[in-house]
Amino acid sequence: MEPIESAYLDEKLETVKDIDFLQYRSTDLPTWCPGCGYFGIVDAFYRACRELDLKHENIVTVSGIGCSGRTPIFINSYGFHTLHGRSIPVASGLKLAREDLTVFAVAGDGDALGIGGGHLPHVARKNINITFLLFDNSIYGLTKGQSSSTTPYEMRTNSHPAGNPDTPLNPIKLALSYGASFVARGYAGDPQGLKELIKEATLHQGFSFIQILTPCVTFDKENRTWKALKENVYDLNLHIEEKNMETAMRMAEHEPYGVGIFFQDRDRLHYQEILRNLNAASA
Amino acid sequence: MMPDNDHYVIIGNGPAGNHAAATLRQKDKDAKITIISDECIPYYYKPKLTDFIADKIVKEDLLVNPLDSYEIKNIRVRCGQAVDRIDPDSKTLFLQHMEKIKYSKLIIASGSNARVLPSMSSYADHLKFVTSYADVMEVKDEIQKAKDFFIFGGDLVGFKFLRMLSSMDNNVSILIYPDAFWPYHLTAGMMAQIIENLSKLNADIIVDDDILSIDEQNGSYRLTTQKGIEKTVDMVFSFNGLIPNIEFAKGSGIDIDHGILVDEYLKTNVSSIYACGSCAQIYNRTIKSYSTSIGWPNAVAQGEAAALNLLGDHKVIESVSKKYFDLEGVKIKTSWWEDIDKDSDA
Amino acid sequence: MKDINIVIEICGSAGEGTISAGEILSRFMSSQGFEIMSFDSYPAEIRGFGKCVAHTRISANPIYSPGKLSDVLIALNDKHSISQLFALKENGILIYDSQPARPHKEDESVVGWAKPGMISYGIPLNMLAHKAAGNARGMNMVALGALAALFHVDKLAFTDSIKARYSKKKQIVIDSNVNSFLEGYDWAKKNIKKIDHHSLKGISLGRAKEKLIINGNQLVAQAALDANLSFYAGYPITPATKIMEILSKELPKHGGTLLQTEDEISAIGAVIGAGFGGKRAMTATSGPGFALMTEFTGLSVMAEVPAVIINSQRGGPSTGIPTKTEQSDFNSAVSGGTGDCPRIVLAPTDTKSCYEATVLALYLAEKYQTLVVLLLDFFLSNSIRNIDIPQKPSAEMLDANIAPDKEDLKDYQRYKITETGISPRAVPGTKGGMFFSTGLEHDEYGRPNYDDANHLKMTQKRYKKFNTVLLEAPAPEISVKDKETFDIGVISWGSSAGAAHEAAMTAQKEGINASSFSTMMVSPFPEKDLIEFADKCKKILIPELNFSGQFANFVTHILKRPVERLNFITGRPMASEDILQKMREM
Repeated sequence: MEPIESAYLDEKLETVKDIDFLQYRSTDLPTWCPGCGYFGIVDAFYRACRELDLKHENIVTVSGIGCSGRTPIFINSYGFHTLHGRSIPVASGLKLAREDLTVFAVAGDGDALGIGGGHLPHVARKNINITFLLFDNSIYGLTKGQSSSTTPYEMRTNSHPAGNPDTPLNPIKLALSYGASFVARGYAGDPQGLKELIKEATLHQGFSFIQILTPCVTFDKENRTWKALKENVYDLNLHIEEKNMETAMRMAEHEPYGVGIFFQDRDRLHYQEILRNLNAASA
Repeated sequence: MMPDNDHYVIIGNGPAGNHAAATLRQKDKDAKITIISDECIPYYYKPKLTDFIADKIVKEDLLVNPLDSYEIKNIRVRCGQAVDRIDPDSKTLFLQHMEKIKYSKLIIASGSNARVLPSMSSYADHLKFVTSYADVMEVKDEIQKAKDFFIFGGDLVGFKFLRMLSSMDNNVSILIYPDAFWPYHLTAGMMAQIIENLSKLNADIIVDDDILSIDEQNGSYRLTTQKGIEKTVDMVFSFNGLIPNIEFAKGSGIDIDHGILVDEYLKTNVSSIYACGSCAQIYNRTIKSYSTSIGWPNAVAQGEAAALNLLGDHKVIESVSKKYFDLEGVKIKTSWWEDIDKDSDA
Repeated sequence: MKDINIVIEICGSAGEGTISAGEILSRFMSSQGFEIMSFDSYPAEIRGFGKCVAHTRISANPIYSPGKLSDVLIALNDKHSISQLFALKENGILIYDSQPARPHKEDESVVGWAKPGMISYGIPLNMLAHKAAGNARGMNMVALGALAALFHVDKLAFTDSIKARYSKKKQIVIDSNVNSFLEGYDWAKKNIKKIDHHSLKGISLGRAKEKLIINGNQLVAQAALDANLSFYAGYPITPATKIMEILSKELPKHGGTLLQTEDEISAIGAVIGAGFGGKRAMTATSGPGFALMTEFTGLSVMAEVPAVIINSQRGGPSTGIPTKTEQSDFNSAVSGGTGDCPRIVLAPTDTKSCYEATVLALYLAEKYQTLVVLLLDFFLSNSIRNIDIPQKPSAEMLDANIAPDKEDLKDYQRYKITETGISPRAVPGTKGGMFFSTGLEHDEYGRPNYDDANHLKMTQKRYKKFNTVLLEAPAPEISVKDKETFDIGVISWGSSAGAAHEAAMTAQKEGINASSFSTMMVSPFPEKDLIEFADKCKKILIPELNFSGQFANFVTHILKRPVERLNFITGRPMASEDILQKMREM
């Protein structure tokens, strides 16, 4: 196997590894802080692409605004850093126009569930064949530490110094409710496990949703820390029927730190297949 | 609740109707005033129709007032809407297009239409007239194309028409009836004068004769007179005077004869209804009988009088200032019941 | 015959066949060699018996505007027609039902309100409809029959047209329509004394070729299909919805995909995604949707991703008046959004040019890797013209992307600075062409860069590219060219241009030395051409359908001289009569 062709920033900020024909020459340091969980996510991503043997030129990563927005820079393929909350519509249009490409959309929790919240139900119910990675650090990191849609109740943040008055959304429950045909949760601190999930998700013919638990080392020092995650995250080891909504919902409700695939419907047709069938039938 | 304003309705958009309306508006600023006409043209000068046929004037020149004059006076004009019948008891007019209108007071000034001689009634389809704009529009183009004409009768318009056709280099024959100027009868002396005047025109003048038959063949008309004269022409015109246009009043309870019978104040037997102009037969105190009138000046005077009387006045219609019509050099009294002066009778 | 120029309005209640009567009339007159323009209005309510007006202008010569007042009003419904009398000329013709099903209460008949100068012809529409088919449904055809008789239209040719129109329906439907028409025709021929001068005697202009009877929305959809549109994403909004509905049927047949999105933001997002993927994509919306798309317009320009947005303008601002026309999104289209954000804006001036404009839009978006806004309006979207079948786009128009060559790919710079400002664009799937696009300011590689010199350099690049577009701007339309100077120059845009050109040409006939100028491309604006024209004009008049004079402000800024303004926000299309009146006053 060829060496992993990727360009990424070494965790210790020592070198920028340039491989092959995409050289990452930035005059600014990337905005990811040392110790950010995103490095782990990207690492899992590379490995998954490698193992799936995806060609660089056929991968497109579409991001929104936030720390996660920089993700495509680290990936040696086509990348598009779009607008806040809008990685999903752009990725959808791209995939529908270019079925031959493998399209990933990435977004943070604030991006995807706040401003972008209106897009999730529809990409899921249409079952558009893209893979969506939710970088869930439960905070707005890039703008320096405000509460987000998944910030826990009463947690102190820079926008709620007395404590967050809002009840957080449950991304897995939402994805299940919206009818996503592949719903999973991963963990940035487990690149191996996350790699497998990303592989499954990419292979899945339909909309794949992965919530990735990851810490914000700079702005969340009390709740979702590496320590807390290490202690609480565990493999759900789901050996149940994939299409069991009741179990999936129950798990989603009661197991906030469980990782694994909650739900997968392999039989459901993805959007383009549905369109083709309908158009053929009406012709 | 404020009572509705009075609604004065006038049937007819000629000189009688218009002057009635103007007078009503002058005296009553608030009443609703509506003129109803079955013709699709605003108030126009009928005497100018022959010039219009000859293309000497255009439609706009026929009109008496600018189009917005009604709006300015706040008089509503309903053109192209014929009255079907009147119900004096409920003070309602029923229009032919199935709308009904209520009035407080009504003036009938519906004027008169071309008279078809009883002897000609079987040939009515072959005859053309020049009494209204609609008549004229029907024949205008045809006249331009036609060459040979036959006119019979001989009223004011008839002679004007004859003159017009002759001047356009057409072949015209005219059969003059002394009774054509009904209700006036032309004396032998009048006839001689008329014929003398007309002989200067390039037209074939026939007198003391009568039409025997008119046959239509492929768009042409073949006329035969009692005395054996035969003419093949493109168009046949009848000018035999006018009869009041009062079909809609029949059976309504309003007293009628040839026209609407009114007293010297122009009021009919129904107190809210007046009539004036050539549709009316007016009771004349002097002769103790009813007279029909013709002509513009009479209509104007009667229209004004009817309006004033409707509003409460008691004007008796007098004869008008213009005493005579000029019929080919012959003076004919506008009000025949008057003894104006003896030597004017030529 | 040569001077036939007549406007016919048919007014009825929804469900009375008003619009279809107008359609049949237009189609027939088109088949007889006349030019036609129709602009119908529908009631605001979905259900009920609201007022419909089918407005058709018929001419032996090219038509530039729909005509402010009608020559003929066919009243299928008295109540509604009373409120339409204002649009009938002082000496116009009214055709009404002289024997309605139910008698009219006082003042409720339309003929009762006809002005003294009008000519009214009463036809027993209801009675004849019953005679023909046993019910009142054929009243519209009876009326057309009467009109045909009055105006010397060939009876058989018209019935042939009716049969063709309903050819796919049951025989009973065809028969009832034809019979109703004939009843009206025969009755009118026999009973009506014609006192007007109008005639529609057929002329054979030798134009046997088939014409397309079509509106702006349909043309835009057709053009997009002919121009290799691959992807459409959209959200329903009046008056653009029809474009999406047509494409939802046709685009899949052409191998493309249509996505109905949850909102306009998603729609433009998807269009940009497809554009990033190297495929031709577009969306169509109106003011409120366009406002939502603003953020993405910035991304298209900054990240240099092709996108086409059609904005069919309607009454504004905000939700405004969805079913009336206006031209008040000029500012928003040309300079809306944040930052120094140059974008191409095309505003076709008539129905026919909606085709070319769409083809050009997709071409320019692809070639210049940027946003093209195509401005229509309610009137252009919905008014119908008969036009020659448009020529399909040439091969060059269909494939405009400037791809990187082998040299470029060795060290591929997605945003390389070039002579034209256009950087060769690798499309995803191209080996070695990988790049990062972002809405952040970036360097030539596409990597985020906030350095001030870089920002200036890249902004200049984007503006250079923008100005290069001018080389491909369609030539301006100038109505009168054979003089050196003019007393009045009318400068207009979009659908007002037709009325402006017509007004200028009519003015010349009246002895006013006028000409008019319009251009399809309003951004970048061909300033040189504008100045050249304006220099010949003593006075300038700028008519537009908005209150604040958006275009006048824009033009004044270029010309640096005062202009006369003429502004309407009646919701009706610009009338050449109004422009002419203003010119007389000037």
